[in-house]
Amino acid sequence: MTGTGGEVRLVDARLHLLSRQVLDVDGEPVRTVDDLELAGPDGGEVTAGQEVHVSAILVGPVLATRLFGGRVPDGRLPRIAWDDVGHVGTAIELTVPSDRLDADWVEGWVRDRLIARVPGGRHDPEAGG
Amino acid sequence: MKKLLGVALGVLTAIGGFVDIGDLVTNAVVGSRFGMSLAWVVVLGVVGIVLFASMAGRVAAVSGRATFEIIRERLGPRAAGANLLASFAINLLTLTAEVGGIALALHLASSVEPRLWIPVAALAVWLVLWRVKFQIMENVAGLMGLLLVGFAVALFQLGPDWGELLRQAVPPSPPGTEHPASYWYYAVALFGAAMTPYEVFFFSSGAVEERWTRKDLGTNRLNVLLGFPLGGMLSLSIAACAAVVLLPAGVEVSSLSQIVLPVAQAGGVLLLALVILGIVAATFGAALETALSSGYTLAQYLGWSWGKFRRPARAARFHLTMIVALLLAIGILMTSVDPVAVTEMSVVFSAVALPLTYVPILVVANDPEYMGEHVNGRVVNALGTVYLVIVVVAAVAAIPLMIATGAGS
Repeated sequence: MTGTGGEVRLVDARLHLLSRQVLDVDGEPVRTVDDLELAGPDGGEVTAGQEVHVSAILVGPVLATRLFGGRVPDGRLPRIAWDDVGHVGTAIELTVPSDRLDADWVEGWVRDRLIARVPGGRHDPEAGG
Repeated sequence: MKKLLGVALGVLTAIGGFVDIGDLVTNAVVGSRFGMSLAWVVVLGVVGIVLFASMAGRVAAVSGRATFEIIRERLGPRAAGANLLASFAINLLTLTAEVGGIALALHLASSVEPRLWIPVAALAVWLVLWRVKFQIMENVAGLMGLLLVGFAVALFQLGPDWGELLRQAVPPSPPGTEHPASYWYYAVALFGAAMTPYEVFFFSSGAVEERWTRKDLGTNRLNVLLGFPLGGMLSLSIAACAAVVLLPAGVEVSSLSQIVLPVAQAGGVLLLALVILGIVAATFGAALETALSSGYTLAQYLGWSWGKFRRPARAARFHLTMIVALLLAIGILMTSVDPVAVTEMSVVFSAVALPLTYVPILVVANDPEYMGEHVNGRVVNALGTVYLVIVVVAAVAAIPLMIATGAGS
Protein backbone atom coordinates (compact mmCIF):
# COMPACT_ATOMS: atom_id res chain seq x y z
CA MET A 1 0.00 0.00 0.00
CA THR A 2 1.43 3.39 -0.89
CA GLY A 3 1.15 6.37 1.41
CA THR A 4 1.74 10.07 0.95
CA GLY A 5 4.74 10.97 -1.15
CA GLY A 6 4.57 7.66 -2.97
CA GLU A 7 6.69 5.84 -0.41
CA VAL A 8 5.74 2.30 0.43
CA ARG A 9 3.93 2.16 3.75
CA LEU A 10 4.24 -0.93 5.88
CA VAL A 11 0.98 -2.12 7.31
CA ASP A 12 1.18 -4.51 10.22
CA ALA A 13 -1.96 -6.63 10.03
CA ARG A 14 -2.15 -7.17 13.78
CA LEU A 15 -1.48 -3.54 14.69
CA HIS A 16 -3.06 -1.61 11.84
CA LEU A 17 -5.93 -3.80 10.66
CA LEU A 18 -7.26 -6.12 13.35
CA SER A 19 -9.75 -4.57 15.80
CA ARG A 20 -9.93 -1.29 13.86
CA GLN A 21 -13.25 0.41 13.17
CA VAL A 22 -14.63 0.00 9.62
CA LEU A 23 -16.46 3.06 8.24
CA ASP A 24 -18.57 3.12 5.08
CA VAL A 25 -18.25 5.72 2.32
CA ASP A 26 -20.38 8.21 4.33
CA GLY A 27 -18.32 7.74 7.48
CA GLU A 28 -21.00 5.59 9.15
CA PRO A 29 -19.63 2.83 11.41
CA VAL A 30 -20.06 -0.63 9.89
CA ARG A 31 -18.28 -3.08 12.23
CA THR A 32 -14.87 -3.66 13.76
CA VAL A 33 -12.35 -5.86 11.91
CA ASP A 34 -12.71 -9.15 13.76
CA ASP A 35 -10.50 -11.25 11.46
CA LEU A 36 -8.95 -11.22 7.99
CA GLU A 37 -9.40 -13.70 5.16
CA LEU A 38 -6.26 -14.58 3.23
CA ALA A 39 -6.08 -15.96 -0.32
CA GLY A 40 -3.33 -17.33 -2.55
CA PRO A 41 -1.95 -15.49 -5.59
CA ASP A 42 -4.76 -16.65 -7.91
CA GLY A 43 -7.46 -16.11 -5.30
CA GLY A 44 -7.41 -19.78 -4.40
CA GLU A 45 -6.30 -21.75 -1.36
CA VAL A 46 -3.36 -20.54 0.71
CA THR A 47 -0.41 -22.93 0.50
CA ALA A 48 2.81 -22.76 2.49
CA GLY A 49 5.69 -20.94 0.81
CA GLN A 50 3.45 -19.05 -1.60
CA GLU A 51 2.62 -15.36 -1.59
CA VAL A 52 -0.73 -14.52 0.02
CA HIS A 53 -2.90 -11.41 0.14
CA VAL A 54 -5.80 -10.16 2.24
CA SER A 55 -8.99 -10.93 0.35
CA ALA A 56 -11.66 -9.88 2.84
CA ILE A 57 -12.44 -8.41 6.24
CA LEU A 58 -14.38 -10.83 8.42
CA VAL A 59 -16.87 -9.59 11.01
CA GLY A 60 -19.37 -10.97 13.49
CA PRO A 61 -19.44 -14.65 14.58
CA VAL A 62 -15.75 -15.07 13.78
CA LEU A 63 -14.99 -12.97 16.89
CA ALA A 64 -16.52 -15.64 19.13
CA THR A 65 -14.50 -18.42 17.49
CA ARG A 66 -11.32 -16.35 17.79
CA LEU A 67 -11.94 -15.93 21.52
CA PHE A 68 -13.27 -19.36 22.40
CA GLY A 69 -12.11 -21.64 19.57
CA GLY A 70 -14.21 -23.62 17.11
CA ARG A 71 -15.06 -22.83 13.51
CA VAL A 72 -17.76 -20.83 11.78
CA PRO A 73 -19.24 -22.67 8.74
CA ASP A 74 -17.85 -21.05 5.57
CA GLY A 75 -21.22 -19.97 4.18
CA ARG A 76 -22.09 -18.13 7.40
CA LEU A 77 -19.03 -15.87 7.47
CA PRO A 78 -20.07 -12.25 6.98
CA ARG A 79 -17.29 -10.70 4.89
CA ILE A 80 -16.43 -7.35 3.37
CA ALA A 81 -14.37 -7.74 0.19
CA TRP A 82 -10.93 -6.08 0.36
CA ASP A 83 -11.68 -4.50 -3.05
CA ASP A 84 -14.20 -2.26 -1.26
CA VAL A 85 -11.52 -0.80 1.03
CA GLY A 86 -10.47 2.72 0.05
CA HIS A 87 -8.15 3.88 2.80
CA VAL A 88 -6.41 2.42 5.83
CA GLY A 89 -5.94 5.01 8.58
CA THR A 90 -6.94 5.04 12.23
CA ALA A 91 -10.16 3.61 10.80
CA ILE A 92 -10.65 1.50 7.68
CA GLU A 93 -12.67 3.46 5.14
CA LEU A 94 -14.77 1.70 2.53
CA THR A 95 -15.79 2.99 -0.89
CA VAL A 96 -19.36 1.65 -0.66
CA PRO A 97 -22.38 2.61 1.51
CA SER A 98 -23.17 0.24 4.38
CA ASP A 99 -26.65 -0.54 2.97
CA ARG A 100 -24.97 -2.31 0.06
CA LEU A 101 -23.11 -4.69 2.37
CA ASP A 102 -24.91 -7.79 3.52
CA ALA A 103 -22.28 -8.26 6.23
CA ASP A 104 -24.55 -6.75 8.83
CA TRP A 105 -28.06 -8.11 8.69
CA VAL A 106 -28.54 -8.02 12.49
CA GLU A 107 -28.41 -4.21 12.61
CA GLY A 108 -31.04 -4.14 9.82
CA TRP A 109 -33.21 -6.65 11.65
CA VAL A 110 -33.10 -4.73 14.96
CA ARG A 111 -33.82 -1.51 13.07
CA ASP A 112 -36.77 -2.75 10.99
CA ARG A 113 -38.38 -5.06 13.55
CA LEU A 114 -37.83 -3.06 16.76
CA ILE A 115 -36.37 0.42 16.85
CA ALA A 116 -38.01 1.93 13.76
CA ARG A 117 -41.42 0.68 14.97
CA VAL A 118 -41.28 2.63 18.23
CA PRO A 119 -42.82 6.10 17.75
CA GLY A 120 -40.05 8.60 17.03
CA GLY A 121 -37.63 5.90 15.90
CA ARG A 122 -36.90 7.76 12.68
CA HIS A 123 -36.97 11.21 14.27
CA ASP A 124 -33.84 13.26 13.67
CA PRO A 125 -32.64 14.47 17.09
CA GLU A 126 -30.58 17.29 15.54
CA ALA A 127 -33.74 18.75 13.97
CA GLY A 128 -34.83 20.06 17.39
CA GLY A 129 -37.50 18.98 19.86
CA MET B 1 -22.90 32.86 25.80
CA LYS B 2 -22.04 30.27 23.17
CA LYS B 3 -18.58 29.95 24.67
CA LEU B 4 -20.18 29.55 28.08
CA LEU B 5 -22.45 26.75 26.90
CA GLY B 6 -19.41 25.19 25.21
CA VAL B 7 -18.27 23.96 28.61
CA ALA B 8 -21.58 22.19 29.18
CA LEU B 9 -20.10 18.80 28.30
CA GLY B 10 -17.49 19.18 31.01
CA VAL B 11 -20.01 20.47 33.54
CA LEU B 12 -22.44 17.63 32.89
CA THR B 13 -19.66 15.03 32.92
CA ALA B 14 -18.43 16.47 36.19
CA ILE B 15 -21.84 16.96 37.82
CA GLY B 16 -23.09 13.59 36.62
CA GLY B 17 -19.82 11.75 37.09
CA PHE B 18 -18.43 13.46 40.10
CA VAL B 19 -21.45 14.34 42.16
CA ASP B 20 -23.65 11.41 41.21
CA ILE B 21 -25.43 9.40 43.85
CA GLY B 22 -22.23 7.42 44.48
CA ASP B 23 -20.25 10.51 45.43
CA LEU B 24 -23.11 12.06 47.37
CA VAL B 25 -23.26 8.97 49.52
CA THR B 26 -19.53 8.26 49.74
CA ASN B 27 -18.62 11.86 50.56
CA ALA B 28 -21.31 12.19 53.19
CA VAL B 29 -20.37 8.86 54.78
CA VAL B 30 -16.71 9.83 54.75
CA GLY B 31 -17.41 13.30 56.18
CA SER B 32 -19.54 11.91 58.98
CA ARG B 33 -16.94 9.29 59.94
CA PHE B 34 -13.53 10.68 59.06
CA GLY B 35 -14.12 14.44 58.99
CA MET B 36 -12.01 16.12 56.32
CA SER B 37 -9.13 13.67 56.71
CA LEU B 38 -9.80 12.14 53.27
CA ALA B 39 -10.00 15.47 51.43
CA TRP B 40 -6.61 14.77 49.84
CA VAL B 41 -8.12 11.80 47.98
CA VAL B 42 -10.68 14.06 46.30
CA VAL B 43 -7.90 16.41 45.20
CA LEU B 44 -5.84 13.44 43.95
CA GLY B 45 -8.88 12.13 42.07
CA VAL B 46 -9.67 15.51 40.50
CA VAL B 47 -6.13 15.88 39.13
CA GLY B 48 -6.26 12.30 37.80
CA ILE B 49 -9.59 12.64 36.04
CA VAL B 50 -8.61 16.04 34.59
CA LEU B 51 -5.45 14.44 33.20
CA PHE B 52 -7.08 11.40 31.61
CA ALA B 53 -10.35 13.01 30.51
CA SER B 54 -8.43 15.74 28.70
CA MET B 55 -6.28 13.05 27.04
CA ALA B 56 -9.35 11.04 25.98
CA GLY B 57 -11.06 14.22 24.75
CA ARG B 58 -7.97 15.21 22.77
CA VAL B 59 -7.74 11.77 21.14
CA ALA B 60 -11.44 11.97 20.21
CA ALA B 61 -11.12 15.50 18.84
CA VAL B 62 -8.00 14.83 16.76
CA SER B 63 -8.66 11.28 15.51
CA GLY B 64 -12.44 10.97 15.84
CA ARG B 65 -12.01 7.73 17.78
CA ALA B 66 -13.77 7.39 21.14
CA THR B 67 -12.22 5.68 24.15
CA PHE B 68 -13.62 2.18 23.86
CA GLU B 69 -12.66 1.92 20.18
CA ILE B 70 -9.11 2.64 21.32
CA ILE B 71 -9.30 0.10 24.13
CA ARG B 72 -10.40 -2.59 21.66
CA GLU B 73 -7.80 -1.56 19.10
CA ARG B 74 -4.84 -1.54 21.51
CA LEU B 75 -5.75 -4.39 23.86
CA GLY B 76 -7.25 -6.76 21.26
CA PRO B 77 -10.57 -8.57 21.60
CA ARG B 78 -9.62 -10.63 24.65
CA ALA B 79 -8.34 -8.05 27.17
CA ALA B 80 -10.75 -5.43 25.84
CA GLY B 81 -13.55 -7.97 26.23
CA ALA B 82 -12.59 -8.45 29.89
CA ASN B 83 -12.65 -4.68 30.34
CA LEU B 84 -16.02 -4.53 28.57
CA LEU B 85 -17.52 -7.14 30.90
CA ALA B 86 -16.22 -5.32 33.98
CA SER B 87 -17.11 -1.83 32.75
CA PHE B 88 -20.55 -2.88 31.57
CA ALA B 89 -21.33 -4.52 34.90
CA ILE B 90 -20.17 -1.47 36.87
CA ASN B 91 -22.09 0.78 34.52
CA LEU B 92 -25.24 -1.24 35.04
CA LEU B 93 -24.81 -1.16 38.82
CA THR B 94 -24.24 2.59 38.69
CA LEU B 95 -27.22 3.12 36.39
CA THR B 96 -29.31 1.09 38.84
CA ALA B 97 -28.07 3.22 41.72
CA GLU B 98 -28.80 6.47 39.82
CA VAL B 99 -32.34 5.49 38.83
CA GLY B 100 -32.87 4.47 42.46
CA GLY B 101 -31.30 7.77 43.51
CA ILE B 102 -33.75 9.78 41.38
CA ALA B 103 -36.59 7.81 42.96
CA LEU B 104 -35.22 8.44 46.47
CA ALA B 105 -34.82 12.17 45.80
CA LEU B 106 -38.35 12.40 44.40
CA HIS B 107 -39.57 10.45 47.42
CA LEU B 108 -37.83 13.00 49.64
CA ALA B 109 -39.62 15.81 47.79
CA SER B 110 -43.04 14.21 47.54
CA SER B 111 -43.22 11.44 50.17
CA VAL B 112 -44.64 9.13 47.51
CA GLU B 113 -43.21 5.58 47.91
CA PRO B 114 -39.85 5.35 46.00
CA ARG B 115 -40.85 2.10 44.29
CA LEU B 116 -43.63 3.94 42.48
CA TRP B 117 -41.11 6.52 41.28
CA ILE B 118 -38.68 3.94 39.84
CA PRO B 119 -40.54 3.17 36.57
CA VAL B 120 -41.39 6.86 36.15
CA ALA B 121 -37.74 7.83 36.57
CA ALA B 122 -36.54 5.14 34.13
CA LEU B 123 -39.15 6.13 31.55
CA ALA B 124 -38.13 9.78 31.82
CA VAL B 125 -34.47 8.83 31.31
CA TRP B 126 -35.36 6.77 28.24
CA LEU B 127 -37.49 9.57 26.74
CA VAL B 128 -34.56 11.98 26.98
CA LEU B 129 -32.21 9.41 25.40
CA TRP B 130 -34.72 8.70 22.64
CA ARG B 131 -35.81 12.17 21.76
CA VAL B 132 -33.79 15.10 23.12
CA LYS B 133 -30.87 16.69 21.30
CA PHE B 134 -27.48 15.99 22.93
CA GLN B 135 -26.63 19.66 23.54
CA ILE B 136 -30.00 20.44 25.15
CA MET B 137 -29.66 17.38 27.36
CA GLU B 138 -26.22 18.37 28.64
CA ASN B 139 -27.10 22.04 29.14
CA VAL B 140 -30.30 21.41 31.13
CA ALA B 141 -28.94 18.60 33.30
CA GLY B 142 -25.61 20.37 33.85
CA LEU B 143 -27.09 23.76 34.71
CA MET B 144 -29.72 22.35 37.09
CA GLY B 145 -27.09 20.18 38.72
CA LEU B 146 -25.28 23.40 39.61
CA LEU B 147 -27.95 23.90 42.28
CA LEU B 148 -25.82 21.52 44.35
CA VAL B 149 -23.76 24.63 45.10
CA GLY B 150 -26.37 24.79 47.87
CA PHE B 151 -24.10 22.48 49.86
CA ALA B 152 -21.34 25.09 49.73
CA VAL B 153 -23.83 27.82 50.71
CA ALA B 154 -25.01 25.69 53.61
CA LEU B 155 -21.42 25.19 54.74
CA PHE B 156 -20.87 28.96 54.94
CA GLN B 157 -24.16 29.48 56.77
CA LEU B 158 -23.21 26.82 59.30
CA GLY B 159 -20.26 29.05 60.17
CA PRO B 160 -17.92 26.17 60.99
CA ASP B 161 -14.55 26.39 62.70
CA TRP B 162 -12.48 26.60 59.50
CA GLY B 163 -9.24 26.08 61.37
CA GLU B 164 -10.52 22.79 62.73
CA LEU B 165 -11.63 21.58 59.26
CA LEU B 166 -8.21 22.48 57.88
CA ARG B 167 -6.48 20.70 60.77
CA GLN B 168 -8.40 17.51 59.88
CA ALA B 169 -7.37 17.83 56.23
CA VAL B 170 -3.65 18.78 56.40
CA PRO B 171 -1.85 16.74 57.46
CA PRO B 172 -4.54 14.05 57.19
CA SER B 173 -5.37 12.87 60.68
CA PRO B 174 -7.98 10.11 60.77
CA PRO B 175 -10.01 10.06 63.99
CA GLY B 176 -8.63 7.56 66.51
CA THR B 177 -11.98 5.79 66.74
CA GLU B 178 -11.62 4.37 63.21
CA HIS B 179 -9.50 1.41 62.13
CA PRO B 180 -6.76 2.29 59.57
CA ALA B 181 -8.05 -0.40 57.18
CA SER B 182 -11.45 1.32 57.07
CA TYR B 183 -9.70 4.60 56.40
CA TRP B 184 -7.86 3.12 53.41
CA TYR B 185 -10.97 1.31 52.21
CA TYR B 186 -12.78 4.63 51.95
CA ALA B 187 -9.72 6.22 50.36
CA VAL B 188 -9.92 3.65 47.55
CA ALA B 189 -13.70 4.08 47.29
CA LEU B 190 -13.39 7.88 46.97
CA PHE B 191 -10.61 7.54 44.42
CA GLY B 192 -12.67 5.03 42.43
CA ALA B 193 -15.70 7.32 42.59
CA ALA B 194 -13.65 10.26 41.33
CA MET B 195 -12.02 8.36 38.46
CA THR B 196 -14.97 6.13 37.43
CA PRO B 197 -14.23 4.93 33.87
CA TYR B 198 -17.69 5.88 32.60
CA GLU B 199 -16.71 9.55 32.93
CA VAL B 200 -14.06 9.15 30.19
CA PHE B 201 -16.32 6.90 28.08
CA PHE B 202 -19.00 9.58 28.24
CA PHE B 203 -16.68 12.55 27.83
CA SER B 204 -14.82 11.16 24.80
CA SER B 205 -18.00 9.90 23.12
CA GLY B 206 -19.63 13.26 23.89
CA ALA B 207 -16.76 14.94 22.05
CA VAL B 208 -17.62 12.80 19.00
CA GLU B 209 -21.34 13.57 19.46
CA GLU B 210 -20.50 17.28 19.39
CA ARG B 211 -18.23 16.71 16.37
CA TRP B 212 -15.13 18.17 17.99
CA THR B 213 -12.12 18.61 15.73
CA ARG B 214 -8.59 19.92 16.22
CA LYS B 215 -10.11 23.39 16.52
CA ASP B 216 -11.92 22.38 19.70
CA LEU B 217 -8.83 21.43 21.67
CA GLY B 218 -9.17 24.69 23.63
CA THR B 219 -12.79 23.84 24.46
CA ASN B 220 -11.60 20.42 25.60
CA ARG B 221 -9.07 21.93 27.97
CA LEU B 222 -11.57 24.49 29.30
CA ASN B 223 -14.17 21.78 29.84
CA VAL B 224 -12.00 19.55 31.99
CA LEU B 225 -10.32 22.42 33.85
CA LEU B 226 -13.66 23.98 34.83
CA GLY B 227 -15.88 20.92 35.12
CA PHE B 228 -13.95 18.48 37.26
CA PRO B 229 -12.53 20.93 39.83
CA LEU B 230 -16.09 22.24 40.21
CA GLY B 231 -17.26 18.68 40.83
CA GLY B 232 -14.45 18.19 43.33
CA MET B 233 -15.38 21.42 45.11
CA LEU B 234 -19.01 20.25 45.44
CA SER B 235 -17.81 16.85 46.74
CA LEU B 236 -15.69 18.55 49.39
CA SER B 237 -18.62 20.78 50.44
CA ILE B 238 -20.81 17.72 50.94
CA ALA B 239 -18.12 16.04 53.03
CA ALA B 240 -17.52 19.24 55.01
CA CYS B 241 -21.25 19.70 55.75
CA ALA B 242 -21.32 16.13 57.06
CA ALA B 243 -18.11 16.71 59.06
CA VAL B 244 -19.56 19.83 60.71
CA VAL B 245 -23.06 18.57 61.54
CA LEU B 246 -23.11 14.77 61.46
CA LEU B 247 -19.65 13.87 62.83
CA PRO B 248 -20.09 15.62 66.22
CA ALA B 249 -23.64 14.26 66.50
CA GLY B 250 -22.39 10.73 65.86
CA VAL B 251 -24.85 10.19 62.98
CA GLU B 252 -23.88 7.40 60.55
CA VAL B 253 -25.18 8.19 57.09
CA SER B 254 -27.40 5.47 55.70
CA SER B 255 -30.06 7.42 53.82
CA LEU B 256 -30.42 10.38 51.50
CA SER B 257 -32.40 12.38 54.08
CA GLN B 258 -29.38 12.34 56.39
CA ILE B 259 -27.14 13.69 53.64
CA VAL B 260 -29.32 16.79 53.25
CA LEU B 261 -29.80 17.23 57.01
CA PRO B 262 -27.00 19.84 57.32
CA VAL B 263 -28.55 21.82 54.45
CA ALA B 264 -31.94 21.89 56.15
CA GLN B 265 -30.34 22.93 59.41
CA ALA B 266 -28.36 25.75 57.82
CA GLY B 267 -30.55 27.14 55.08
CA GLY B 268 -34.08 26.12 55.92
CA VAL B 269 -36.75 24.87 53.57
CA LEU B 270 -35.89 27.01 50.55
CA LEU B 271 -32.23 25.93 50.36
CA LEU B 272 -33.30 22.34 51.04
CA ALA B 273 -35.75 22.46 48.14
CA LEU B 274 -33.07 23.84 45.80
CA VAL B 275 -30.55 21.20 46.86
CA ILE B 276 -33.08 18.39 46.40
CA LEU B 277 -33.77 19.74 42.90
CA GLY B 278 -30.02 19.73 42.34
CA ILE B 279 -29.78 16.12 43.52
CA VAL B 280 -32.58 15.10 41.17
CA ALA B 281 -30.79 16.84 38.27
CA ALA B 282 -27.37 15.41 39.15
CA THR B 283 -28.62 11.85 39.55
CA PHE B 284 -30.74 12.24 36.41
CA GLY B 285 -27.66 13.49 34.55
CA ALA B 286 -25.64 10.56 35.88
CA ALA B 287 -28.40 8.13 34.85
CA LEU B 288 -28.23 9.57 31.32
CA GLU B 289 -24.45 9.32 31.34
CA THR B 290 -24.34 5.71 32.53
CA ALA B 291 -27.15 4.60 30.21
CA LEU B 292 -25.36 6.21 27.26
CA SER B 293 -22.05 4.72 28.39
CA SER B 294 -23.53 1.22 28.38
CA GLY B 295 -24.45 1.80 24.73
CA TYR B 296 -21.16 3.52 23.90
CA THR B 297 -18.93 0.78 25.33
CA LEU B 298 -20.73 -2.16 23.71
CA ALA B 299 -21.19 -0.41 20.35
CA GLN B 300 -17.59 0.80 20.22
CA TYR B 301 -16.21 -2.62 21.15
CA LEU B 302 -18.17 -4.33 18.38
CA GLY B 303 -18.00 -1.44 15.90
CA TRP B 304 -21.77 -0.82 15.75
CA SER B 305 -23.17 2.50 14.67
CA TRP B 306 -23.72 4.64 17.79
CA GLY B 307 -24.51 8.16 18.91
CA LYS B 308 -27.39 10.33 20.01
CA PHE B 309 -26.80 12.62 17.05
CA ARG B 310 -28.05 9.85 14.72
CA ARG B 311 -31.70 8.94 14.23
CA PRO B 312 -32.44 6.00 16.58
CA ALA B 313 -33.07 3.84 13.50
CA ARG B 314 -29.54 4.63 12.26
CA ALA B 315 -28.04 3.34 15.52
CA ALA B 316 -30.53 0.60 16.26
CA ARG B 317 -28.47 -1.76 18.39
CA PHE B 318 -27.03 1.17 20.38
CA HIS B 319 -30.55 2.25 21.35
CA LEU B 320 -31.61 -1.34 22.01
CA THR B 321 -28.66 -1.74 24.41
CA MET B 322 -29.71 1.32 26.40
CA ILE B 323 -33.33 0.11 26.59
CA VAL B 324 -32.23 -3.31 27.84
CA ALA B 325 -29.88 -1.68 30.40
CA LEU B 326 -32.73 0.48 31.75
CA LEU B 327 -35.08 -2.50 31.96
CA LEU B 328 -32.42 -4.46 33.87
CA ALA B 329 -31.97 -1.53 36.25
CA ILE B 330 -35.71 -1.43 36.96
CA GLY B 331 -35.65 -5.19 37.52
CA ILE B 332 -32.81 -4.97 40.03
CA LEU B 333 -34.46 -2.09 41.91
CA MET B 334 -37.80 -3.88 42.10
CA THR B 335 -36.17 -6.48 44.33
CA SER B 336 -36.15 -3.67 46.98
CA VAL B 337 -32.36 -3.66 47.10
CA ASP B 338 -31.03 -0.48 48.71
CA PRO B 339 -29.63 1.85 45.99
CA VAL B 340 -27.24 3.40 48.50
CA ALA B 341 -25.69 -0.03 49.17
CA VAL B 342 -25.52 -0.81 45.44
CA THR B 343 -23.65 2.44 44.94
CA GLU B 344 -21.04 1.79 47.59
CA MET B 345 -20.27 -1.58 45.96
CA SER B 346 -20.07 -0.26 42.42
CA VAL B 347 -17.62 2.48 43.42
CA VAL B 348 -15.13 -0.02 44.84
CA PHE B 349 -15.43 -2.34 41.84
CA SER B 350 -14.73 0.54 39.50
CA ALA B 351 -11.33 0.96 41.18
CA VAL B 352 -10.53 -2.60 40.04
CA ALA B 353 -11.34 -1.83 36.39
CA LEU B 354 -9.37 1.42 36.20
CA PRO B 355 -6.02 0.20 34.75
CA LEU B 356 -7.55 -1.53 31.71
CA THR B 357 -9.17 1.77 30.72
CA TYR B 358 -6.42 4.26 31.45
CA VAL B 359 -3.41 2.37 30.01
CA PRO B 360 -4.71 2.36 26.38
CA ILE B 361 -5.64 6.04 26.60
CA LEU B 362 -2.10 6.95 27.66
CA VAL B 363 -0.58 4.75 24.93
CA VAL B 364 -2.73 6.11 22.09
CA ALA B 365 -2.30 9.72 23.23
CA ASN B 366 1.38 9.14 22.42
CA ASP B 367 0.79 7.53 19.00
CA PRO B 368 1.57 9.97 16.16
CA GLU B 369 -0.58 7.94 13.76
CA TYR B 370 -3.60 9.02 15.78
CA MET B 371 -2.43 12.31 17.20
CA GLY B 372 -0.03 13.84 14.64
CA GLU B 373 1.58 16.82 16.35
CA HIS B 374 -0.86 16.69 19.26
CA VAL B 375 0.84 13.81 21.08
CA ASN B 376 1.33 14.11 24.85
CA GLY B 377 3.98 16.46 26.18
CA ARG B 378 6.60 15.31 28.67
CA VAL B 379 4.88 16.70 31.76
CA VAL B 380 1.57 15.01 30.89
CA ASN B 381 3.34 11.69 30.28
CA ALA B 382 5.25 11.91 33.55
CA LEU B 383 2.04 12.69 35.47
CA GLY B 384 0.16 10.01 33.53
CA THR B 385 2.75 7.38 34.46
CA VAL B 386 2.63 8.35 38.13
CA TYR B 387 -1.16 8.06 38.04
CA LEU B 388 -1.00 4.63 36.40
CA VAL B 389 1.03 3.44 39.38
CA ILE B 390 -1.55 4.89 41.81
CA VAL B 391 -4.39 3.38 39.78
CA VAL B 392 -2.78 -0.08 39.81
CA VAL B 393 -2.14 0.12 43.57
CA ALA B 394 -5.78 1.13 44.18
CA ALA B 395 -7.02 -1.65 41.90
CA VAL B 396 -4.94 -4.32 43.64
CA ALA B 397 -5.85 -3.07 47.14
CA ALA B 398 -9.59 -2.65 46.53
CA ILE B 399 -10.89 -6.20 46.97
CA PRO B 400 -8.60 -7.25 49.88
CA LEU B 401 -9.54 -4.04 51.76
CA MET B 402 -13.20 -4.69 51.07
CA ILE B 403 -12.95 -8.20 52.53
CA ALA B 404 -10.74 -7.17 55.46
CA THR B 405 -13.02 -4.35 56.57
CA GLY B 406 -16.35 -6.00 55.75
CA ALA B 407 -17.01 -3.24 53.16
CA GLY B 408 -15.89 -0.50 55.53
CA SER B 409 -18.19 -1.28 58.44
